[in-house]
Amino acid sequence: MEPKIVSLKDVTFSYKGSKRQALRGVSLDVKEGECVAILGPTGAGKSTLACVINGTVPRFIEGKLTGDVVVDGQIPNNVGTAQMASRVGLVFGDPDTQLFGMTVEEDVAFGPANLGFDYETIMERITRAIEDMRLQGLEQRAPHRLSGGQKQATAIAGVYAMLPKIMVLDEPTSMLDPEGKARVFSIIRDLNKSFGMTIILIEQEVDDILELADRVFVMKSGEFVLGGTPEEVFAAVDELKEVGIRVPSIVEFGNLIGADKTPFSVEEAVSTVKSGAWNKAIVGDAPIEDRAAPGLSVGSESTQDTAPILEAVDLEFRYPLGVKALDGASLEVYPGEFVAIVGQNGAGKTTLTRHFNGLLRPSAGDIRLFGKSVLNEPTASLCATVGYVFQNPDEQLFCDTVEDELRFGPMNIGMDKDRMEESVRDILLDIGLDKYRQVWPRYLTKGERQRLALASVVAMEPEILIVDEPTTGLDWLESLQILDYLERLRKEKGKTILIITHDMNIVSLYAKRVVVMANGRVVGEGTPREVFSQPKLMELAYLRRPQIADLSDTLWGEVLLTPHEAADRLKRSSSTNREVAGK
Amino acid sequence: MIVEYESKQTPIHRLDPRAKFMWVVATIIISIIWTDPVYLFGLGVFTVIIGFMGDFPWPKMKGTFMFLLIVTAIITLIQGATYLPKVVWLANPERVAFYLIPRWIPVIGPAWPLRIGGLIYGICMALKVFVVLIAISVFGYVTSPSEVVQIIVRLPFVSYKSGFVVSAASKFVPVIQMQLATLRDAERSKGVDFDSGSFTEKVKKTTSMLVPLFANALSMADTMALAMESRAFGYSKNFTLIRPYQMQASDWLMVVFSVGGLVASIVCLAVFKLGAL
Repeated sequence: MEPKIVSLKDVTFSYKGSKRQALRGVSLDVKEGECVAILGPTGAGKSTLACVINGTVPRFIEGKLTGDVVVDGQIPNNVGTAQMASRVGLVFGDPDTQLFGMTVEEDVAFGPANLGFDYETIMERITRAIEDMRLQGLEQRAPHRLSGGQKQATAIAGVYAMLPKIMVLDEPTSMLDPEGKARVFSIIRDLNKSFGMTIILIEQEVDDILELADRVFVMKSGEFVLGGTPEEVFAAVDELKEVGIRVPSIVEFGNLIGADKTPFSVEEAVSTVKSGAWNKAIVGDAPIEDRAAPGLSVGSESTQDTAPILEAVDLEFRYPLGVKALDGASLEVYPGEFVAIVGQNGAGKTTLTRHFNGLLRPSAGDIRLFGKSVLNEPTASLCATVGYVFQNPDEQLFCDTVEDELRFGPMNIGMDKDRMEESVRDILLDIGLDKYRQVWPRYLTKGERQRLALASVVAMEPEILIVDEPTTGLDWLESLQILDYLERLRKEKGKTILIITHDMNIVSLYAKRVVVMANGRVVGEGTPREVFSQPKLMELAYLRRPQIADLSDTLWGEVLLTPHEAADRLKRSSSTNREVAGK
Repeated sequence: MIVEYESKQTPIHRLDPRAKFMWVVATIIISIIWTDPVYLFGLGVFTVIIGFMGDFPWPKMKGTFMFLLIVTAIITLIQGATYLPKVVWLANPERVAFYLIPRWIPVIGPAWPLRIGGLIYGICMALKVFVVLIAISVFGYVTSPSEVVQIIVRLPFVSYKSGFVVSAASKFVPVIQMQLATLRDAERSKGVDFDSGSFTEKVKKTTSMLVPLFANALSMADTMALAMESRAFGYSKNFTLIRPYQMQASDWLMVVFSVGGLVASIVCLAVFKLGAL
């Protein structure tokens, strides 16, 4: 049996000045060479746990720690963080805050140089880390000029160069596009499977950890509520949903059809269906309803017979001395639509949408609102019709209280006071922040701040709402809360919604139309089904369709969007086969 | 720095940071002691040539140059109207070049004469500003902050940590600039019109961005500190300086040229009045 490399016994921790326990009696044993995934909603204590393992809690981040923590034979609290750094590497979600060098090479050298190794050893480690993390050719590049995936790979290389036995990765893909995510997961796989490193991976991306993790633990309110092999944990669908974890669509499909063995990949699910290793008893039941998909575009909900509310006509835009960000981008948006704009980082999504409220002005082309050119309209007046919500809530909250934040926009556009107060009252109730009306927005959780940022724009009552990556850094439940709110605004108040997103699960569930961008142009559009049915288009935009779409395409040659749809399809095809056999 | 460092393989980028440092220091001192615009112009041309050799992105300086041009034009006019230096090589420096209020304006014209000597002195001041600005910008563009740290930590009595603080602070500047731009855009998207209102109102609009700006900067600094701690920052007093610099022939050439030029200009100025008005 492999020796334990991490051993936590009944660990509790409270941050200095806080009565709440961030960790409550956590016990965890990790074997050498194991890959352990930790899931949980925001605020569950996952990051605190990571900091306990590398000793930054409580030596750097103060608080009261009790229980036993032994990592690679050392008690981190006694040894010190810097000394633990050569045993435990910690990688964070935001690569920008963990890159210190002016070049990739310098950044990778930072850790070994701090450890005082001689020049030759440092150069050896740099060469190895750069090679193993597939960063060859980028050695002299400035880290801030790299793509998100390359930046995170550099951050991992910097930790890897210190040759720790354990690597703790705290949501390393939370800020990356699909291509960046794929790169980072592939590196983590190499670290564990090829280089034998022990991995503790904190993640929200459940699909990717299925094949990677040996064991999975689920945290909620500072304690483990589920733990075991991926098969054991993901079989507990109801418990996972209660905690707010998205169940991988393939697993959910397996559970819905009563598969003999829970599938963890598309191949396994295909083989389960083809071999008939599932519960035929579902045949004959009522159609399987999908309660998790409020905006599911089952049929077409076309509004395109009306005049477009917003048009971009052959837009061109170049940042000062930069690349051409838009190269003839054209788009029509119709009233009451829910449009998702997708594409890899740098495709021009944000640049395009920032033209709609005048934040950017094109070098060529036209922007039309209700059929009228608005190229010369100032943002201050356009924002009353086109609301824009930025990606990071902390870059758009300016006031001392939640209530004032909601008044900020309406006051600037000169909204009638009574109407504004009524609107603020309604919105506070609508987004569930009524009890925090006098609280400084910074004291709210990330999910609450994101909802407030969105609501502060909604308060101006714009016809069109543009939301840039509304789910970045949020857990699944928080993401659904934001998207449900947008969908309610669309259905109940007739708003037109445009979101920019990398999350194809969100696209499947909410978007009525998907606009695909690449190289500064709109390269394709259609319903989620239509877009997911075009592999070349997906490839061009570096997109990865949901696993359930892969599965249904393989099995029946048609793209389905949710596990429920796929289970229903299986049921239908099964009863048809039975009828045919009966005749 | 107005223009951010860029990692490139130009002959100037490849120079040892100490050689580049010597060059920028020599250029600044020479531009201060010289007062003759012809000499200063020559120094400016040489500085620009170094910039071209370092592939300096001149268009990025357009805004700054325009602003400086206006400021220095005003300075030149004020000097021309108010100051009359002793010009060694000019026979008649008090000669009037033109009047700010020309002759053809009845009753009050001509008034405010601008004298040749004063104008030349103003141009000399303007050239000094341009030479210093270009030299510092080119130095910042071809020398990475970590190379600056390498220079600083090699000085006696300076710890690596102090040097790293300089480097980290320089990295923060563009991040803060980007944050400020985003905050401004976010305010504009909520109906704030930065172009309208009185001066007090404009100040008020701008200051509302300061709280989120500082709060974000502090939060980012906190995470950076945690990440540094996790990568053993401060573990050992024997921090290894990567890139053990060794002066090459080209580096020595630059040092000799810079130091030699500085010494020569001081001697020529003191003995032969070369470079003086």
